[in-house]
Amino acid sequence: MKLGFGYGVSHQLTRVKSPRYLLVLLSILFFSATAEAARISDLEETNVWEQMFRFFSMRDDVVRTALLGSVFLGVSCGLLGSFIVVRKLSLFGDTLSHAVLPGVAIGYLVAGQKDPFAIFFGATLAGILGTVMVNLIKKTTHIKEDSSLGMVLAGFYGVGIVLMNRIQKLPTGTQSGLDKFLFGQAAALSATEVWMIAGVAAASIVLVLLFYRQFLVGSFDIGFARSLGLPAGLFHYLLMMLLAFTVVVSLQAVGAVLVSAMLVIPAASAYLLTDRMHRMLIIASGFGIFSGVLGAFFSFLGNSLPTGPLMVLASSAVFTLSFFFSPKHGLVSRWRKRRSGQIRIENENTLKAIYQVRESYGFAGEGVKVKDLAIRMNETSDETLRRLQKLRAVGVCDLKEIEGKPFAFLNPEGWLRACAVVRNHRLWELYLTNQAEYEPDHVHDDAEIIEHVLGEETVRRLERLLDYPVEDPHGKLIPSLADLQRSLTQGGLDEKTTGYRMPNR
Amino acid sequence: MDTMSTWSQLIPEFSFQQVFVEPWTEFLDPFIWIFLMGFFVTAACGFLGTFIVWRRMALVGDAISHSVLPGLVIAFLVSQSRDTLPMFLGAVGAGILTTALIEVIHQKSRIKTDAALGIVFTTLFAIGVVLVSLYGENVDLDTDCVLYGELEHVTLEPLSSVLGLFAAPGSVLRMGIVALLVVGLVVLFYRPLVVSSFDPGLARSIGMSPAVMHHALMSLLAIVVVSSFEAVGAVLVIAMLIFPGTTASLLSDRLPVILGITLVIALLGALLGMHFALWLDISTAGAISTVIFGLFLLAWVFAPRRGLIWRALR
Amino acid sequence: MQEIPLETHDLTVAYDKRPVLYGVDVQVPEGKLVGIVGPNGAGKSTLIKAIMGIVPATGGWVKVFGDSFAKGAKRVGYVPQRESVDWDFPVNVMDVVLMGRYGKLGLMGRVRKSDREIAEACLDKVGMLPYAKRQISNLSGGQQQRVFLARALAQESDLYLMDEPFVGVDAATEAAIIELLRELKDRGKTILVVHHDLPTAQTYFDMLMLLNMRLVAFGPTKEVFTQELLQKTYGGRLTILSEVANTVLKESK
Repeated sequence: MKLGFGYGVSHQLTRVKSPRYLLVLLSILFFSATAEAARISDLEETNVWEQMFRFFSMRDDVVRTALLGSVFLGVSCGLLGSFIVVRKLSLFGDTLSHAVLPGVAIGYLVAGQKDPFAIFFGATLAGILGTVMVNLIKKTTHIKEDSSLGMVLAGFYGVGIVLMNRIQKLPTGTQSGLDKFLFGQAAALSATEVWMIAGVAAASIVLVLLFYRQFLVGSFDIGFARSLGLPAGLFHYLLMMLLAFTVVVSLQAVGAVLVSAMLVIPAASAYLLTDRMHRMLIIASGFGIFSGVLGAFFSFLGNSLPTGPLMVLASSAVFTLSFFFSPKHGLVSRWRKRRSGQIRIENENTLKAIYQVRESYGFAGEGVKVKDLAIRMNETSDETLRRLQKLRAVGVCDLKEIEGKPFAFLNPEGWLRACAVVRNHRLWELYLTNQAEYEPDHVHDDAEIIEHVLGEETVRRLERLLDYPVEDPHGKLIPSLADLQRSLTQGGLDEKTTGYRMPNR
Repeated sequence: MDTMSTWSQLIPEFSFQQVFVEPWTEFLDPFIWIFLMGFFVTAACGFLGTFIVWRRMALVGDAISHSVLPGLVIAFLVSQSRDTLPMFLGAVGAGILTTALIEVIHQKSRIKTDAALGIVFTTLFAIGVVLVSLYGENVDLDTDCVLYGELEHVTLEPLSSVLGLFAAPGSVLRMGIVALLVVGLVVLFYRPLVVSSFDPGLARSIGMSPAVMHHALMSLLAIVVVSSFEAVGAVLVIAMLIFPGTTASLLSDRLPVILGITLVIALLGALLGMHFALWLDISTAGAISTVIFGLFLLAWVFAPRRGLIWRALR
Repeated sequence: MQEIPLETHDLTVAYDKRPVLYGVDVQVPEGKLVGIVGPNGAGKSTLIKAIMGIVPATGGWVKVFGDSFAKGAKRVGYVPQRESVDWDFPVNVMDVVLMGRYGKLGLMGRVRKSDREIAEACLDKVGMLPYAKRQISNLSGGQQQRVFLARALAQESDLYLMDEPFVGVDAATEAAIIELLRELKDRGKTILVVHHDLPTAQTYFDMLMLLNMRLVAFGPTKEVFTQELLQKTYGGRLTILSEVANTVLKESK
């Protein structure tokens, strides 16, 4: 690995003992820094903010080209990558990006120099050849798709490596700059190349806007697209063509080895944030631009670091953030939702236990002795008190001491919810025993889970199906939905059907 | 630059004596090690790869070969040595991390497996490349080695003697042991391997555990990929894994014969690859993978019964 | 005392937390040809796979000849769905049938002459002996099914679990298979067959298992093959079961 000048010097500094040498070295550093100031590198001594200012103010040409190139590249990678991700073609993207390599070398050889157009044509041809070969192998042999993808990837890449090795041995080869095509170097982008990237980005935007619906239907259900009379094959090839162009123009900045990551990762991050394709396209392009620019910037900071891996790392950071913090699909929000679900289930279990204790006393009295509840729930009174305090916090329960002993009282809303949970549990048990013909001893555990998730609609259907039952398989009362609701609208609960009695204050 | 001269310089002069004879007469000492290393790598990968391909795990192999890079570099940096043990631990750690991350992303989000694979291995590989670029000098690894290996470097190693019988470079010895291990284990566990690859349900019903088989195979794959890394780099491993097995399966439909042919392909690949690399002054790993790619193309076109020509005539 | 070849209690299976089989209780008596019928997605194949432990059960237990499946495995023969294997795999017909002997051989035991003879006899029984050296990709669907059957015969088991053996086979093969199954039954073997065709189910099997996410009925064909029970199995009254299963899945994510 040839390290850049600035880095090498700073390393030597640590080894130098005598201040005289230090002085000499510093002056060398100073001179080299001024001499190289136009280059996108080596300013170890300036601070990050200055570098940032220099980078984003686009004062010098190299920076401007690199920055613009990364922006356009981010757009087309995001757009095409979205289709790649929803079509589950990410491994194909990987194969394509490796397969273009021999085309790059041949383009260089034909033009006799690093001519962007020759390389573009060579690489595109190689990409098409690779794609055709994957399909041919699949069609004419028993070899499965994953292996044929791997074969084209590795075979073409090997040929590309051999050709590049040879080019490097040519008299002019060491300056060919082709090695930059493997890991990318945004700083090496020429104005022509940026124009080409911009062209591909523009073409992608225009075609996706024009044929958005066709692409969408084709990605979702190609058979349906055909049945609509759409030339699904044509749109598929159009998309593949755009994909190949995107890969090819990205080579200089990202490198063949990691282009597929720039396709997949921004799009996958966007996929975690939205459920709509058009939003995904926009977000993915945004992430593409962000990762591209950030990657180019870090490559600019760290002397001679390849751009491709840095862009990929920037996009991986974006992915990690959306993986954890996406409002809908993120790990954290899902964890929160589950946590609140657990709290609800716990509260509902407490309510159910209160119901059952009152039921065991034939619904006599208004409150429930905390000690009875603790026995019922098989825990200490302290634990039960803590549960009840949680209930009080959501406003469905009161705690009072009667004759020195703690009692729990449910307000009408609390009682209603307790009835609902018990009803769900008993209805489900009844359904399993009567309709699904389960043994009565199998149904309880299942109902323990189901009681918390049954929606009102399902409950109505169950009641209808079971002919509005009033007793469960064990002969206990099923508080009916209709009665409960009637009681609610009339402002009080009917004692006969619901067992509720207002606490005497 | 003149285009004509570019082309004429592209292919150097060919001297039969220099390319094909002298390695075996005058310079046997360095070249035999290059040849053996190439053979061991291709044979170990190809033999195991036959099963990897049938089990549709080919791209998992590719993913592992990329993602071990940061493990290797970090192991270098921590242990400050190229010893086998820390490197191996680092690589295995990275391999386990890869499979675990793919699982987590797949299970905890709506990302499908293929995209999860694509995200994880490229990210780890990118970390590795950045580390190599930053600390390349300290770890004695460079991006070229990552891209196409340094098979030729075995000739620079001091010879270590084995029980006083013969002497060979350490990495050639290690790769030879790995190749023997692969062939030995496959032969020993041939039957469970075949049954669990062909019909996991039957394997289960005759008291084998397909899950154990899967993990054993993954571990063996990791060992082979890690040991081949320095010789062929991160990308070309997949060529060595896939080509011998698929090419052989075009030539025969009996598994034992196919496994035999993979060894022949490995031999041809290493031999021709070494000579081509010498002639063209190119990376040996690149040359070997190009040769076995060529062998595949030949088999695809000319194979009896399964080849394109045969199919066209029928 | 008669052994019970297969017994399940409260066997419950969930894929990805989505319940597909609910508390299945069965006791299959010895020497019966049993058909497992039910609509698509009723969990028929899942039941077989759960019995064998190919898919993990989330609840309940399975006993094979009064023991855990792992201990009884050697007495169980398995015929998977034909599409579940890769027919391009480089083995020939004889190799596949010999796989049926692997369970008896252990990990290292060599294939003996007697094993080959058994394999040949089994191939002969299904009329596939002339194809012994044929590569498996060159077989028709019916022939592939016969090979699988020969392999199951070579296992010399006492309990057979067969997943849709009649799918995609010609009429001659179907007749040959059912004849073979009856012969096995007459020798005291127990056979469970996943089947999707109702009219033939009535004539083929001694006993029927009506399955739709849970066991609707299990008994002699005459008693079980009634309008009412079939209605229950195929009718829509159980849709709430799967709807609720989906809700549970959503909540748990």
